[in-house]
Amino acid sequence: MDIDELLNLMKKVKKIKIDNIEITADEIIINIPTLPPIPIPQTPPIREGIKRIVSPVEPKIEIPEVDWSPPVEKYKGYIREVQFGRPKSEGGRGKVIKIGGQRTLYRFEEVQPNPPVVTFDIFDMPMPGLPKPVREYFQDVMEDPVEWAKKCVKEFNADMVTIHHISTDPKLKNTPPKESAKLMEDLLQAVDVPFVIGGSGDPKKDPLVLEACAQVAEGEKCLLASANLDLDYKKVADAAMKYDHNVLSWTIMDPNMAKDLNRRLISHGLDGNRIVMDPTTCSLGYGIEFSINTMIRLRLAGLKGDELVNMPMSSGTTNAIGAREAWMVNPEWGDRRYRLPLWEITTGLTMLLCGVDIFMMLHPLSIAVIKEFGRLLVSKPEKIKVNTDNYEWIRA
Amino acid sequence: MAKKISAMDIYKLLPKINCKKCGESSCMAFATKLQERKVTIDECPILKSPKFEKNRKKLEELLSPPVKEIWFGYEDKKVILGGEEVMYRYELTFFNPTAIGIDISDSLPEEEIKKRAKFVEDFVFERTGEKLKLDFIALRNASDDPERFVKALKIIQENTNMPVALCSLNVESIEKALDIVRSKPMIYGATEKNFSEMIKMLISKKRDKKEFALTLSSSNIKTLKGMVKASLEHGIEDLILDPHTTPENIMETLDKFVMIRRSAIERGDKLLGYPILGLPINTYFYVLKGNNPIKQFVEKLDKAAAIMEARTACAMLNRYADGIIIHGTEVWELMPILTLRQAIYTDPRKPQTVEPGLYPIGNPDENSPVIMTTNFSLTFYTVTGDFEKDGVVCWLLVMDTEGKAVDVAVAGGQYCGDNAKKLIEETKIEEKVNHRIIILPGLAAPVRGDIEEKTGWTCVVGTRDSSQVGEFLRKNWNKILEEWKAKQEL
Repeated sequence: MDIDELLNLMKKVKKIKIDNIEITADEIIINIPTLPPIPIPQTPPIREGIKRIVSPVEPKIEIPEVDWSPPVEKYKGYIREVQFGRPKSEGGRGKVIKIGGQRTLYRFEEVQPNPPVVTFDIFDMPMPGLPKPVREYFQDVMEDPVEWAKKCVKEFNADMVTIHHISTDPKLKNTPPKESAKLMEDLLQAVDVPFVIGGSGDPKKDPLVLEACAQVAEGEKCLLASANLDLDYKKVADAAMKYDHNVLSWTIMDPNMAKDLNRRLISHGLDGNRIVMDPTTCSLGYGIEFSINTMIRLRLAGLKGDELVNMPMSSGTTNAIGAREAWMVNPEWGDRRYRLPLWEITTGLTMLLCGVDIFMMLHPLSIAVIKEFGRLLVSKPEKIKVNTDNYEWIRA
Repeated sequence: MAKKISAMDIYKLLPKINCKKCGESSCMAFATKLQERKVTIDECPILKSPKFEKNRKKLEELLSPPVKEIWFGYEDKKVILGGEEVMYRYELTFFNPTAIGIDISDSLPEEEIKKRAKFVEDFVFERTGEKLKLDFIALRNASDDPERFVKALKIIQENTNMPVALCSLNVESIEKALDIVRSKPMIYGATEKNFSEMIKMLISKKRDKKEFALTLSSSNIKTLKGMVKASLEHGIEDLILDPHTTPENIMETLDKFVMIRRSAIERGDKLLGYPILGLPINTYFYVLKGNNPIKQFVEKLDKAAAIMEARTACAMLNRYADGIIIHGTEVWELMPILTLRQAIYTDPRKPQTVEPGLYPIGNPDENSPVIMTTNFSLTFYTVTGDFEKDGVVCWLLVMDTEGKAVDVAVAGGQYCGDNAKKLIEETKIEEKVNHRIIILPGLAAPVRGDIEEKTGWTCVVGTRDSSQVGEFLRKNWNKILEEWKAKQEL
């Protein structure tokens, strides 16, 4: 192209863009024309007395700025922290679990320091009454509680295990406490997780069984289940003090009763930091509303500073699978394989949201779901990235 | 609770003439019932007179709950959301049970839409004498096509009379649907993106006297509050809040629900005093897309999705959701959701009880067994349901345990010898049978001695579960009766 032609063109268009060119020259002079300043129109101030007319047909609609801040409460009290297990450095078997320690009710106020813990229920003799959806996971180990405990830990990552010495019941096998203690020793050797030690529910026998097991588990900071008003709770507390364990203080759905038992245990000499409260879990559909009220009231009282009820809470969530809607074969109610764990999940989740810290449960699926939920409680807000948008369901 | 309104505050505004036309003995008694929300101001005829108009307005203001009550649906079939006054049910009660909606996609073939709509309308799960049902249909504009949306709405309306939520972010779709909808719909929704356009359209519909409840949606509570403010300024007052349901971290959502509710109830923030909508359906589709946290146990994606969706729904029921939309329709998924809702929304002021007394089951005679249970309605209906199914014939004694179940009443001391004695005397059961044997539930074994001592009747501990009573009686009753008779002859 002739250079003059190009210059002529440039006169017409003010600006050109040239792609992929190569210029060979001795000297290139580029004159950059200076642009005259662009006048910025001044908005005349609106004189007072003149109102802007908003057309009623086309209103200007926008989202205004407003004030709001998260409604965070100040609490006078706190929830005590209770430790299970003893680290290897202190001569223990290894795994240490802590529960409690909250200073607020909700995560947005302050992230909970310890996640809720689930402990797997196992029994010292086969449980013929266990519904099939549970049995199918444990059928092969039900004859041997040691193998049962191992399976919970190895296959389902159990953080803790609850051994129920039900065969000690005088109406069942009436196993002597000595034999329970032997089993306890074997269990402690088989797995490194902390234990909850339960009896058969026989008020005369339980304190003896718990004492014998506490002795062989000395220093392992187990949870003795339980001290309650129907039995010699002092004996249970004594065993805990003597052999370095914690005590489950179990009462029936009455905050005052829980307070009363805690007071008695403490005045007997038991350190309040060794108490976990169990205010009774009524399963879904069988009075769960009573448990909701009791637990939330206890938790609020603890946070408000009542040191007789600021202990972490436990829930016998397994109760849920005893509900007929969970275990019964009934085609009208759909597949029991899903129905049963969901009944236990719903019960556990409700208790979790009322402040429960440790769950005794049976079905591995339910346990997985409760544990997954518990992890969210200790995650900082917005730490877990949210990628989905809220509206995909409309077009799904 | 926000500032507590005393019965005296209410009394001051009442006519104070003790005319008893409301059915109460005095205006003060009426004030107390108003405070507990056991009656409404409409029950006072004097307040309706023009002279009391001012007082009536003041009372309405005073008594309006911190969470506004919003309804949608048909006049005779309403879904009521909100109306809550307290953070915890033990403080008073929770009022309007969480409304449960099931979605229907407008992309489905006509037959499928019809079938699903019918399913939602007909679904019922009965427990403790109460029929638990689903509340509304959430029609979603999956096609994004206004015509399809309208067509699907027509099919639903022609085949059911279920309240409807119109779910689309497409303003044109909502506009067209509003033209033909027969009920007051819930609209989902106004978002940060479509806000201006949606509100503009709704203002014009409002001018045409169209009624609707509008869901405002934002993941930011502050923005949500601003949206409420703007909506109110334009006369759109029936609002519902959606602070987003995030399946990756459901705790974020639950936190927001609590913050909104606490702002309204404990901090008196009127702009956040509206019902909250939860979307467990988000969890369903999230899992269905392959995000299955329970694949070790449940591989089938739709089953895992249903379990995780139910878990989200149940968490939301515990955290102030006033309405939820779900996708799953498996009965095993819906059962726990409906049961939990029933439990949370039972009125703690009245225990669920049946009248204590004597109930003949089947056609009992003088040789039939006497069985003693509690007046907790769940226990009663479970027991009678089982007996009916199994053909059990007996005299059923229902003890007043203040509405507590057997194990709780045994522990709490209501299921005891003294109450048993009273029950036997009041029901005159002695005149109906020629034996003195009572069968106790398995869970009542610990109080057997007490009951025998106080009543003089022989107690037999039966089964733990009432479903096994039929078999127990067939095996044992004749023997028990004969042994007892033999003892008497000695």
